[in-house]
Amino acid sequence: METTTGKLIKLTIDGKPALVPEGTSIWDAARNIGIDIPVLCHSPRMRPVGVCRMCVVDIGQRVMAASCVRPCEEGMNVDASSARVEKHRKMLALLLLSDYPQNSAREAKTGDDQLLALARKFAIGRIPLPDGAAEGARGSDMSSPVIAVDHQACILCDRCIRGCDELQHNNVITRTGKGYAARIAFDLNNPMGESTCVACGECMAVCPTGALTNKPVTNMRAAMGGQPD
Amino acid sequence: MKLLTKMMHLQEQHGAVTDAVLREMSKAESVPLYRLEGLRGFYPVFRVTPGRRMRVQVCRDIVCMMKGGPQFCSKVKSVLAGVSGVEVEEVSCVGRCDTAPAATINEIPVSGSVETITAYATGEKPLPSNEPTATPRRWPTDPYSNAKDRYGALKKFLKPGDDRQRDEVIRILKEADLRGLGGAAFPTGMKWDLTRKASGAPKYVVCNADESEPGTFKDRVILEELPYLLIEAMVLAGWMIGAKQGIIYIRHEYAKERKALQQAIENDRRAGALGRNIFGSDVDFDLQIFVSPGGYILGEETALLEALEDKRGEPRNKPPFPVSHGLWGKPTLINNVETFAAIPIILERGAAWWAAQGKGNYKGLKYMCVSGDVAKPGVYCVPWGTTVDELLTLSGGITDGKALYAFSPGGASTNFLPASKRNTALDFKAMQEAGSGLGTGAMVFMAAGRDVLELAISEVKFFRNESCGKCVPCRVGSHKAVDLVEAALAGKPQPDLIPLLQELNSTLAQTSICGLGQVALAPLMSVIDHFPDDALPRLQGSAARSN
Repeated sequence: METTTGKLIKLTIDGKPALVPEGTSIWDAARNIGIDIPVLCHSPRMRPVGVCRMCVVDIGQRVMAASCVRPCEEGMNVDASSARVEKHRKMLALLLLSDYPQNSAREAKTGDDQLLALARKFAIGRIPLPDGAAEGARGSDMSSPVIAVDHQACILCDRCIRGCDELQHNNVITRTGKGYAARIAFDLNNPMGESTCVACGECMAVCPTGALTNKPVTNMRAAMGGQPD
Repeated sequence: MKLLTKMMHLQEQHGAVTDAVLREMSKAESVPLYRLEGLRGFYPVFRVTPGRRMRVQVCRDIVCMMKGGPQFCSKVKSVLAGVSGVEVEEVSCVGRCDTAPAATINEIPVSGSVETITAYATGEKPLPSNEPTATPRRWPTDPYSNAKDRYGALKKFLKPGDDRQRDEVIRILKEADLRGLGGAAFPTGMKWDLTRKASGAPKYVVCNADESEPGTFKDRVILEELPYLLIEAMVLAGWMIGAKQGIIYIRHEYAKERKALQQAIENDRRAGALGRNIFGSDVDFDLQIFVSPGGYILGEETALLEALEDKRGEPRNKPPFPVSHGLWGKPTLINNVETFAAIPIILERGAAWWAAQGKGNYKGLKYMCVSGDVAKPGVYCVPWGTTVDELLTLSGGITDGKALYAFSPGGASTNFLPASKRNTALDFKAMQEAGSGLGTGAMVFMAAGRDVLELAISEVKFFRNESCGKCVPCRVGSHKAVDLVEAALAGKPQPDLIPLLQELNSTLAQTSICGLGQVALAPLMSVIDHFPDDALPRLQGSAARSN
């Protein structure tokens, strides 16, 4: 978040005092004093978009606020961790998990799937919501030689989009469609391997789930027709 | 505005914005392909491949479902199946609930019955004329009985450089207690004052003419019959905040109304009420119409701004609000059609006159859209504080002499109330205290025998269908809620469905970015609360019944 003045803002997060420059987000202010607010769509390298809503906090208003996009205000009293707030985070995780595939390519390869980490944090067992992943309805795209796309594991966090269009300026990824049918797309909704993607890898580096991952490296000898190892 | 307008022109020309068309456009405009795909995929008017010559669109939402039955669209589809050059699709509310079941062919309203629609679609009957009415009615919020008297408020206050005049207008609007009549009820005087005092230039005035909530069609009538009041108020707004440009964001389904508005804008330019040096002053202000590429969510003011900026119309996180960070990040005054149109008479006759138009302690006049099981559906301009029952009497009572069973007072986002609340006053606060809201003023009456659970579910489906998909709770939550309820109605209820729906509703209400997600489950929850006998046995299934 940009700061426009040298003014400092005083607030309280989970009972702890915080003093931050004007314009600082609640999420950043909490982090500064050792309170980690869970988040899926935000990364400190990126412009916050506040779409996963996992980082919601109670600031005593009519509705909760997404802490990654809400600037701190003088005298704010933030509840970032109570059961009341965690209950909503758990429901949001349940919603995403109800559409999540059985196997996350990220978890299988590198063990750092952030949605599954939240599932563990909230000790989620049974998901009491209709299974939206049963038939892998959203499909996958293996057309890129380097990057595997599993639309079923995509939570539309917008990280790959910002990574591609704002960090790397490669201008390939968008959201297409609308509502529950929305999904990520490349160029004019082309297969990734046929798009203008240069396989820079930023999208899979920033993806928090199994949606965009590194494809297995081809066994070269086998590919050349030689004997497998 | 530039890219979306161009895409709409290209679609008109080619019948679709195909990949080839967009690749050309991408080069011509130096815009990457992904941006054009984001727009094409989001807005319902765009097609990837050309459609057929006759595009029949049938409304699937609450009032049309009541009047045509849940299978209405399927019936139209089956009758027209195999007819060459015709295609039929179900769409969200087209804003003609007073003629339900509503349908359009190539965006020309052809509501009525399966027979009427098919006669037009097959060419058996030529499509009706789509011109604005030549004989507008007299409405009680129009201070000008004669066309030559128009712009009285504008002439009275337009004294450039005179801040006392501006202060006076703000004072009158505050005293009149005019509120945002698009449903949010934000005090108009305060909004004008905030935008006036916000720093940044240029500033903009925007009229939200994108009403799309099932049951809502009042702005349609104002746009067609009183466009000059809307324009006059927008000029005043421009003068107030120091804006030179105004934009009217109108839903694409309102073609006839758009023509009326366009004619009024041209008349006003000729009369000197728009353009350079308005009425000889040094005030410049002009208006343009922007046609929405479709979708209910665009009525959310920040989604509307995103569309004007050629982006996917997804609501912004707030704060900041448009009064300080609106179009292109500049201070922007956004009001609904009815809100703007009320201003000339308030300024002409004063806040005390306006207050006296209401009943009892309620101030002013309100346009209500009445539909559902009533003898005379339509738009009624009534005093604030009129009761629901009085409005029902005005609109001819319940059809076929049936009893009133339930009503939804303010559009899909407002809770259903039982007939016992029929003496509630039409007012934001009174309706809230009764357990609902006045919302957009879209009153849907339901007669005895109506399946309120089915109707409430149709409202939730509307929100699911119209969710932009930006945030998780709304995108996934509205979808799962419909699945859960449909499974229950199909005889396979989830155990503990009611507490689960309550939790889901709470998360949607608390964590969604905008009002759509926050209220998406509200109609359903209200039926569970107010009509437990209608809802619980069917939602809880046999397990609950055997208890």
